[in-house]
Amino acid sequence: MSKSIWQKMADVDKRVLYWLLFLLLVVPYLHPLALPVAVQETTLALYKKIETMGPNDIALFSIAGGVSAWAEIAPSMVAVMTHLVTRQIKVVIWGFFTDQDLTVDMIKSKVPDLTTKYKYGTDWVYMGYLAGGETAIAQLASDVHAVFKADKYGTPIDQLPLMQRVKSATDFTLALTVDTGSYILYYIRHWSTAKGTPVAEIGIAMQTEYLPYYPNAGLMAILIGVRGGAEYEKLIGHLGDGTITMDAINVSHLLFIIAIILANVGYVMTRREKK
Amino acid sequence: MSSIFRKREVILFVTGIVGGINLFEYFFAVKPVADAATIVRNWAIIVSIFALGLGIFNAVRIHSGHIRRRTKNQWPFSVFLLVYFVLLTIIGLWSTQNVIYDWSFKYVYTSLSSTFYALTGFYIFSACYRAFRARSVEATILIVSGALIMLRNAPIGEVIWKGFPIIGEWVLMQGQLGGMRTLALVGGVGLIFFGFRTLLGLEKGYYGGE
Repeated sequence: MSKSIWQKMADVDKRVLYWLLFLLLVVPYLHPLALPVAVQETTLALYKKIETMGPNDIALFSIAGGVSAWAEIAPSMVAVMTHLVTRQIKVVIWGFFTDQDLTVDMIKSKVPDLTTKYKYGTDWVYMGYLAGGETAIAQLASDVHAVFKADKYGTPIDQLPLMQRVKSATDFTLALTVDTGSYILYYIRHWSTAKGTPVAEIGIAMQTEYLPYYPNAGLMAILIGVRGGAEYEKLIGHLGDGTITMDAINVSHLLFIIAIILANVGYVMTRREKK
Repeated sequence: MSSIFRKREVILFVTGIVGGINLFEYFFAVKPVADAATIVRNWAIIVSIFALGLGIFNAVRIHSGHIRRRTKNQWPFSVFLLVYFVLLTIIGLWSTQNVIYDWSFKYVYTSLSSTFYALTGFYIFSACYRAFRARSVEATILIVSGALIMLRNAPIGEVIWKGFPIIGEWVLMQGQLGGMRTLALVGGVGLIFFGFRTLLGLEKGYYGGE
């Protein structure tokens, strides 16, 4: 017995769905939509905070996301680092992912001022990888020098002028955590709640996990996925990958919704036919 | 000797000391306790580094087994994994600033990682299409809420109708946030009780007790 049109609508082969999504994702790269992106309050809070900071302030840039998530978090990382460097804010980088060196290299290539205008050791440092998850973050909040004895390149911490100013969480004006998991919760617990350091999140689209802590429960700002990056690019007037990728988000989200509607129309009509 | 360390009393004593020091240090600024907490936390960081070694050991053990048993559709990949692992370890120990090491990470690891992450989008699309069916009132609410959040997150929602982001924002900030805050609070309170039970030796699961 052949399927009715409703049954076909409710049971499209997944290979068709994959091809449809793939082809639609190609369209914006050939013909950009460039739809306007409204800036959300969660993003604006970070921009405003960094605007109040200057050359005497130190920002932590903690990496807890791998290269696999670059498509989602790299635009935000690059935009925020560009803003930090523009404001001449000192930057300390460390992280908890074994592939984070690639992320640091990517940031250095996308934000060339970090290596050309900034002096290593004085204006920025990269402390390298650290194991230990929440325990390590709790320890760093109390005593950075007890954890790191040297930077990524083997320079003793005592020979890095910037690290002479950094002893604990209270020495940072802002802690930024690039996160694809739960590291933000560790920073909220041990840096924001316990030490009072403002903590902001550069995260993927798992906003429901972070939002309960915004804005008065330990999390002062959130950049949510690619959209957060696109919004931040708009704020600093430096359009980049986030803005480009938003076209793919627009097309894919629309396709998702259309597919869900069609599937449900097919499902409801098939049930009626059976009755 | 090893049997001493397996005794329940020893495990509970160590847990109590370690937990007690960190709990006290969190709330009170007493230097000797803070110094002790620093030492204990550094130990924990060192122990967690061993987890990396354990992971390597486990991967080598599992894939060596596949090669030995010639597991169908698996053992050639295991050979590739182990050969590449040994090669990169040797090269990495020699220097991480060379062409092979650099090339492997930049053009193999990065591309594969990004590809796998991107593929999840296709799976999610297929899963949404199949799973999001209005089988009940609750399921319908879930589907409508999800669609509204998608139309809020993607600027195209605002282009279709200006009301979509407003309704989506309401669903997110009023509809779900209260529930998530409640869950976080309940989970937090539960965690506090779990912590106290652990410190008092009433929880046994974490050391394999019954």
